[in-house]
Amino acid sequence: MNTDQLTQAIISGISAGGEQFLEGTLAAMLPIVWLAILGLQLGQPYILDMINRFTLRLGADLLWLVYVALRDLLIVSGVVMSFMFFFPDVVVTDALPLTGGLAAACLFGVLLVKLMGDPDHNLRDFRIAISLLGLGSLFYFVPYVLGVQFNISFLVTNTNQGWAVALAYVSIALLAIMGAIAAWYALRTGGRAEVQEPASGQ
Amino acid sequence: MKPDQVATAITQALVQGGAQWLVATIVAFLPALWTMTLILHLGRPYVLRTLRRCGLRLGADIWWMSYLLMRDAVLLLTFALSWIFFAPNIVMNAALPITGPLAALCLLIALAVKLSRRVDDDVQAYRLATTFLVVGATLYYGALVFAVEAASQDYLAGFGQFFTSNMNPTVALWIMWISLAGVAIVAGWLFVRLLASANRTMASRLSTQQVRPTTEQTSAVQ
Repeated sequence: MNTDQLTQAIISGISAGGEQFLEGTLAAMLPIVWLAILGLQLGQPYILDMINRFTLRLGADLLWLVYVALRDLLIVSGVVMSFMFFFPDVVVTDALPLTGGLAAACLFGVLLVKLMGDPDHNLRDFRIAISLLGLGSLFYFVPYVLGVQFNISFLVTNTNQGWAVALAYVSIALLAIMGAIAAWYALRTGGRAEVQEPASGQ
Repeated sequence: MKPDQVATAITQALVQGGAQWLVATIVAFLPALWTMTLILHLGRPYVLRTLRRCGLRLGADIWWMSYLLMRDAVLLLTFALSWIFFAPNIVMNAALPITGPLAALCLLIALAVKLSRRVDDDVQAYRLATTFLVVGATLYYGALVFAVEAASQDYLAGFGQFFTSNMNPTVALWIMWISLAGVAIVAGWLFVRLLASANRTMASRLSTQQVRPTTEQTSAVQ
């Protein structure tokens, strides 16, 4: 082996290793992000209860805004970090949960419901959003725990490549459709909040 | 191999490999930034709806300011990192989406719309910026997902070869130069516009000062 060959070997190692490290770190962070999303969403009654006890309006407003910002930014981060599930090369190479792409599509669905509806004040929208979150967490955690961690090969992408690529395409299609709906909604409304305020009785 | 040769090989590898890794990391983060850009821009109705419910002006201001800062900073950062699509060597040697430069141009035009018109008050301007962002994102995602990141899929080989920059360098370079010309035109227009606006503002301020003579300053604490 000469110097050039050794250089090329190390370069390949750095590139491939760096990429896999990045994807591995994202994959390792995703369960934490999912748990935090679920925790914050399920903790909404606790936050609302706490807000009712505030004697100063400023504190209540700030608590609610910080809660909403944290909750929604985590959902956005979850979608962004799940982008690797939409890349056929990545799902074929790395050991990822088989239905991770569908979980990401569910998360995006939650964002779409938040955009077009009002889950914080409308019960129907809240139910849709929470159902999508529940479905998404099942899609993520079942293959993650049983497949990636417990080695059931059917549930892991790189040991079930046919299904993995097919599900990646299904997820891409779902995301594309929902993205198109979101873009159409933004164009139609011109970026204004047009949902009617719920009646006081609700 | 002698220790010197091994040391040389490791040094060269770290320099070259580090550069490649940096480019690869930027390429890997760009989809995330594009997605953030789109979500934050399209999520405006939701942000407004939350803002309306703030009981106090302070909370609403903090909320709106945070949203604006994040949305526009992510947009700017995405364009800044997209600059790798305008480096000919990287375009020819790295596997990038061939339509990346066009996507970056769309991003810059969306930024230009934001700078030249009041996107948050003018519905038509918001629609225009949204259209450019959606077109740019489609150009970027399409080539990235089905060409650059689908090299292992045989049935996408033709698509992959056409839409990956280092497999189709001639077309990639043409697209890059055309987009670069577009970027130069838009940036030049923004520069001229800024200069004219600054001149106008300065002239009106000077004329106001001439009409109203400067009064003597009195100290706040006497």
